[in-house]
Amino acid sequence: MSAKDQITVPTPPRRNPWRERLLDNWRVFHQNPLGRIGLILLVVFAVMAMVSVVPPLIDPMYHPMTGVDPEVMQSSAPSWRHWLGTDFMGRDILSQLLAGTRVAFMVGVSAAFMSIALGVSVGMVSGYLGGWTDIILMRLSEIIMVMPTLLVVLMLAALFGKLGIWTIVLMIAFFRWPGVARVIRAQTLSLKGRPFIDAARVAGASHTRIVFRHIMPNVLPLAFLYMTFRVTGAIIIEAALAFLGFGDPGTVSWGMMLQWVWKTGHMFQAPWWLLPPGLCISLLTLSFYMLGRAMDEVLDPRLRDQSR
Amino acid sequence: MSEQTPPQTDQLQRTPPPLTAPVMELVGISKHYQSRGSIFGGAGERVTALNQVSLDFRRGEIFGLVGESGSGKTTCGRLMVGLERADAGQLVLEGREITALRGKDLKDFRRKVQIIFQDPYQSLNPQLSILDSVAEPLITSQACPASEREGRVLATLKAVGLSPAEDFAYRFPHQLSGGQRQRVAIARAMIIEPRLLVADEPTSMLDASYSAQIFDILLQVREKFGTTIALITHSLAAARYLCDRIAVIYRGHLMELGQAEQVINRPRHPYTQALIDATPKFGDCGDVPRYNALLQPERQATTEEAGCVFFRRCARAHLTRCSRQAPTWRRLEDGDMVACHYADGAPDPGPEIESCPVPGL
Repeated sequence: MSAKDQITVPTPPRRNPWRERLLDNWRVFHQNPLGRIGLILLVVFAVMAMVSVVPPLIDPMYHPMTGVDPEVMQSSAPSWRHWLGTDFMGRDILSQLLAGTRVAFMVGVSAAFMSIALGVSVGMVSGYLGGWTDIILMRLSEIIMVMPTLLVVLMLAALFGKLGIWTIVLMIAFFRWPGVARVIRAQTLSLKGRPFIDAARVAGASHTRIVFRHIMPNVLPLAFLYMTFRVTGAIIIEAALAFLGFGDPGTVSWGMMLQWVWKTGHMFQAPWWLLPPGLCISLLTLSFYMLGRAMDEVLDPRLRDQSR
Repeated sequence: MSEQTPPQTDQLQRTPPPLTAPVMELVGISKHYQSRGSIFGGAGERVTALNQVSLDFRRGEIFGLVGESGSGKTTCGRLMVGLERADAGQLVLEGREITALRGKDLKDFRRKVQIIFQDPYQSLNPQLSILDSVAEPLITSQACPASEREGRVLATLKAVGLSPAEDFAYRFPHQLSGGQRQRVAIARAMIIEPRLLVADEPTSMLDASYSAQIFDILLQVREKFGTTIALITHSLAAARYLCDRIAVIYRGHLMELGQAEQVINRPRHPYTQALIDATPKFGDCGDVPRYNALLQPERQATTEEAGCVFFRRCARAHLTRCSRQAPTWRRLEDGDMVACHYADGAPDPGPEIESCPVPGL
């Protein structure tokens, strides 16, 4: 043991390596202005989604779907009674907006999570096994990838009538996994040839163990990065569907609100009704996008402020 | 053709018998790589990584496998740990053939043979802590209960000179230097106390000062566990420092095998001599005779398939014989092995060599 070695280990014992790592990554993330703005926006929206349960408890007339204010019964400008005004039948726009936030989160995160889970599994299996498995899975993913998601979902909606919100989520997830699978497959291919995978084989790890213990931790950061972008995509697709009139009639989403504005001819009469959902869609997708960009920086070793 | 030419492989007449039973034996191992041909048919180029290689690794010895880049020595190491399959020949571990193992036998084999890779920056999983990486063989082989794992990892880390071990165990590879990572790699290989440790160029990515430390750790490992070590290296200096026996390999063919002292000080094969001459030396070496073999412009090989593999670069080759007839892998009187027609007795720099002095040396 030389003196040189001793000098390089001045830090006290660390009992929790994952926490250390997380803190390191958080530092890089936090220094990125995009990441900070994105995170602040996201927290604001998260709070909005959480308080969405409050208005209906205060008074039934604040229920986003059924709560009609009997004294208004039409679209009205913002007031003390209705902070963001009311829609064409006297429903509170703020409570609709809050309920829409909850739906947007639900659709975005669950669709993204499902497509990532499917994409990561397919990508890892395809890349690791190679051969015919790889060929079949990748051709399948290409077939799905070339289908325009919105158009296909629109056609399905037209065929089967009104779709429930979970059907929409499932369909978005189904059409969005191939991109993830391809990226994860590429990453797996590059990892597969690295000596530490050989080392794991010599150490006696089975194929399953190599994939889940040794490869997966290396592709998960990338998967999370893709998840933020997939959330954005899912929210936009759901909004577009709802705006075009193919949303779930039982839920209030931002796209649904925009559809009501347009359908009842209030596009240029009621800016208090048109602007909030539009802005919310833009800002929430923007916040996930910025989050993704900042995570990109965390994951990109060239931008990392660490000795490697 | 001389009358004393022995049979092709040595395993038939192994005299004198080895002092101790070999831990691992390679019997006539061959391995070829075929690059893929074009889609319009036609096979790709066929590369011989190993050709009829027979070696034995005796208990507790450090065996050096020396050769230049692309000579097949790394392939040999990968074969020995089961990362590659041989095209022909047998791999025998402690008297049992292990060429096609599956299931439980394979697991058993994994416990007995381990490897250290060349590049310590690539051989540790960046997402696993040192503790997790080193514990991996213990987990997969279920060699000890989970509660004892951490203690064994710490003890092994200490044994390879990583102290305080408690500190290193909870770090990640990127927080360690190259030398420290290589120690971790040794710890991972040694934690299940294998019979045979293949060290594939363990120091070629490290500074000279770290190399010496790694060598000393390998010597300690041998001392402590009685592990047989197969050291794969391009450095004759490293081989001389560590090894009991040395085998020299060129383009997948064994050239010479013998006691380390013998091979380094009195090489019988012109390729070994060329490798020794290619080693940089200190001081005034104006009068050191040098073979010119590795600098020799390549001869046109008339019948390459039939001739000696080293013919094209050999300084001692005789056109008529060496280009037409491959030398056999034969045992010399003192028990060392060589594959050269003109290797009998002490190496003799013939007139051909003296006529090509190396300019500027």
